[in-house]
Amino acid sequence: MTIEDEVHIMGQQLHSRITRIFGRSLHIREVDAGSCNGCEVEVNSLSNPIYDIERFGVHIVASPRHADMLLVTGPVTRNMELALLKTYNATPSPKLVAAMGSCACSGGIFGDTYASGGGVDRVLPVDIYIPGCPPRPQAVIFGLMMAMNTFEQKIRRTEVVA
Amino acid sequence: MLKILEMTLKTGIQTTKYPQEPDIAPLDFRGKPEIFPDSCTFCGNCVAVCPSNVIRIKEDNGEMVLVLSYCGCIFCGRCDEVCSGGAIKLTQEYEMASRTKDDLYCIIRRKV
Ligand code: SF4
Ligand code: SF4
Ligand code: SF4
Repeated sequence: MTIEDEVHIMGQQLHSRITRIFGRSLHIREVDAGSCNGCEVEVNSLSNPIYDIERFGVHIVASPRHADMLLVTGPVTRNMELALLKTYNATPSPKLVAAMGSCACSGGIFGDTYASGGGVDRVLPVDIYIPGCPPRPQAVIFGLMMAMNTFEQKIRRTEVVA
Repeated sequence: MLKILEMTLKTGIQTTKYPQEPDIAPLDFRGKPEIFPDSCTFCGNCVAVCPSNVIRIKEDNGEMVLVLSYCGCIFCGRCDEVCSGGAIKLTQEYEMASRTKDDLYCIIRRKV
């Protein structure tokens, strides 16, 4: 192993240590892009005493200008498309986008109709998909932890020949 | 004031230990639909009832292919109800967050 390799490895270790110590805060702006409000109820419950995501340094903020991540729910209706784009542009980079709920992932029960956009990824680049209708708070916590690189992704594409 | 303090002490800590400890969903929880490839007859009942149209069956090079995407699934359990062979069952699994849509596919193939 050359000196450069060693320095590279040490740099990576330091980086992961720094992320472990400091990189734990995440500010989230929740955007309702035409959801049925089922998902919002679950987002509300994230900050109640039972699930309490503030203990992980995750905060829900009131403006996209304070946010690191947009948590988008709903299939992106026509009325909300422009608003969502404006919110995205108002968020400082680097930013993450999480699609929460089946609607945000790919249209869900609303599908791909004249008024519904059929998912967030048609408008914005999505970093994390959290399926569920609505996803239970634990599932959302899992998704957020995955976005913060604390957890590994569990689900994998399965293809079986029977 | 004392009453409130007493109540607080009695209630104790209610915050869940998740994610440090796994949280098992209740038994009747409707989570990720699991497919048992050997029991599936490709009858198409689940395709007909799925309200969000996330199950598809197609023929491809003399192979029957069933594609299920967890991405738009609303976990209603209709597919579980109509499947006569019990080839599709809703499980308690909910940790399905994914970085790509591709990882949310479940595909089974069979030669006809
Ligand atoms: S995923 Fe389900 S609960 Fe969430 S907004 Fe869509 S329909 Fe409502
Ligand atoms: S999963 Fe069940 S209902 Fe669906 S095609 Fe297979 S056997 Fe038929
Ligand atoms: S649980 Fe409902 S939405 Fe999901 S695959 Fe089955 S029928 Fe379709």
